[in-house]
Amino acid sequence: MNRRDLVAGKTIAGAAALTALAATAQAQATAKTTLDRILADKKIRITAEVTSPPFGTLDRNGQLDGSEIATSRQLAKDLGVELELVQVTAPQRIPALLAGRADLAISSLSITLDRAKTVAFCNPHGALSTVITAPKGKPIAAPADMAGKRIGLTRGTLEEAAVPKGAPAGVNFVFFDDIAATIQALLSGQVDGAGMSAFAASSVAERNPGAGLEKKFTVARAYYAPAVRQADHELRQWINTLVFLNKQNGVLADIYEKYTGEKLPDLPVI
Amino acid sequence: MSRDFEWPEFVFLLLAVRWTLALTAVAFIGGGVGGLAVALMWVSQFCAVRAVASVYIALLQSTPLLLELVLGFDGLAVLTGVRLDPWPAVALAFTLYAAAFLGDAWRGTIEAIPRAQWEAGAALALPRRHVLQLVVLPQAVRIAIPVTVGFLVQLIKGTSVAAIVGFVELTRAGQLMVNVTFQPMIVYPVVAVLYFLMCWPLSLAAGRLERRLATGRG
Amino acid sequence: MHYVFQFGVVWDNWQRLLQGAVETVQMSVAAFVLGLLLAGMCTYARGSRSRVLRSAVRGYVEVIRNTPLLVQLFIIYFSLPGLGVRMDADEAAVVGLAVNFGGYATEILRAGIEAIPRGQTEAATALGLRRWRIFRHVVLFPALRIAYPGLAGQFILILLGSSVVSAISAEELTSTVNTLQSTTFRSFEFYFAATAIYLVMAGAARVVLDGLFWLGFERGRPKLGAAGR
Repeated sequence: MNRRDLVAGKTIAGAAALTALAATAQAQATAKTTLDRILADKKIRITAEVTSPPFGTLDRNGQLDGSEIATSRQLAKDLGVELELVQVTAPQRIPALLAGRADLAISSLSITLDRAKTVAFCNPHGALSTVITAPKGKPIAAPADMAGKRIGLTRGTLEEAAVPKGAPAGVNFVFFDDIAATIQALLSGQVDGAGMSAFAASSVAERNPGAGLEKKFTVARAYYAPAVRQADHELRQWINTLVFLNKQNGVLADIYEKYTGEKLPDLPVI
Repeated sequence: MSRDFEWPEFVFLLLAVRWTLALTAVAFIGGGVGGLAVALMWVSQFCAVRAVASVYIALLQSTPLLLELVLGFDGLAVLTGVRLDPWPAVALAFTLYAAAFLGDAWRGTIEAIPRAQWEAGAALALPRRHVLQLVVLPQAVRIAIPVTVGFLVQLIKGTSVAAIVGFVELTRAGQLMVNVTFQPMIVYPVVAVLYFLMCWPLSLAAGRLERRLATGRG
Repeated sequence: MHYVFQFGVVWDNWQRLLQGAVETVQMSVAAFVLGLLLAGMCTYARGSRSRVLRSAVRGYVEVIRNTPLLVQLFIIYFSLPGLGVRMDADEAAVVGLAVNFGGYATEILRAGIEAIPRGQTEAATALGLRRWRIFRHVVLFPALRIAYPGLAGQFILILLGSSVVSAISAEELTSTVNTLQSTTFRSFEFYFAATAIYLVMAGAARVVLDGLFWLGFERGRPKLGAAGR
């Protein structure tokens, strides 16, 4: 076989691959809905954000754990399909959904107006509040006390949107790409305080008593819900139904209580 | 209750090494094939083909790996509607990056072969393709080995950037372990040592190969 | 997928993007200058009689070249505070980039110095010049001229590589687009714009660096100080 054949062969193979790729794109764009694909493949891909206890964590064996992971497992079981957890960072939750790396986002995604312009929320399955947490010695009792302090926030989270809104001038906000990084910065003293969910704040404080962390004040309250891409009406309807059923039978309440230690509040519907 | 960095946490990091290695291997093989194509395009007689290769190399080498990864990660879906799982998406981005680097490096080694050899081949009425295949490439491959091994080190280190988008490999595993142990003072140096153990032997080999080549020629 | 491009939102934020680009350049230049100083010291130490000093330099170079920049940044920003060494994110980013570049620059300078014929230093010694002066005039400056293309290439790599410092919350172009896209959700448009800006910056840097080479080494007398500026 001489070089000409090799080159020609490669060109044909490349062209074939491109055609196949384009064909797949076409097929995905027109024929099937995401729900069809999930049922056909018997597999659903759900985002997993594992640096935000108690919603998502890693257990001692490196396995994914947390209330959102448990919820994802329950929904996949109810759908009767295999679950593939797609690990993401907090800012990557929505991009991963939009780029199709995941079919569904279940990662303590609070329902906000900005997000609703981009993704479609299902009915909420939990509630959280966002707080400022800091070491006991730091005098931060109210938003006004944040002036002159370094406050760590994670991009793409509720706190990123909510904390700066009520803040006075002169707060030095430090933005991280990952909740893990925000927590590390808080514990290593790189920031004076940090915004995160109240549950995460308790969990971090409890797991790290030496740091003497305490909740300073509450910034915002929100309901969090599964989210799908805006075109995926069928999938959203399915998830809503499953959320409804699991609210009725108490499964969601059990999961919430097991991981957060609190009773599941009344959840409105969208 | 914070847990300490003990055996299970270390094992978690060790297991993550395989994803770093797997990603490196896929990108290296894919990048090798792509790089060869780019290098051959560069020595083509057609100026349009050469232009495509040079633009590709220039684009990929003048933009940050992180943004190539993010665009490869999201851009493909946005532009074409093709939705890839995280693994193929990350692997594709690193493959394109590797193809540009190797293409450029191998182009350099092909061009390092003295022009006279092409001319000698032409004088013998050998087709250009045969000169490339029988005369130039065998010599170029020998020169290309050290730089290729050296790039493997760069690729292993480069895969750490995937941690920023949440892809679980060694660096991300380190972040996750810091998040459960709260001991960055131990975890990150351990991560660094694991990278060092992967990269150092390759660096030494690349250096040795380079010296052998230098003395062999002189 | 029905994705509607909205580049208008990128244009609305051009000032922030520009500011991010300026921060990237400032950070890269600071890291380059610091790293070059570090590499100069290492190169000097490498020629010392102290075995410990020589091994320390070798160890530094090997560790830097065989571990990822991102992990080095994590160690500087997250691990060092445990030892009482605390820097804010921007400082940690510059130090991290400088320490990283210093390792590569030390190697590049070594290669440059090895290219200087030994006879030249011997001649200078015979003239009775002091060790430091020999190093500066006979070794370092000519070596810089040889090393310049390699160092200039490294500057481009710092410029592009600095995009990962957003992971430790340092502020530059990539962290700016991270923030913008997380509030507007137009991630593709912003990352595309940022990539284009990096492309322009890298191209401009190449032109400037080539110009500096001409000014410093090619034009008239070889005045070598321009390399670091």
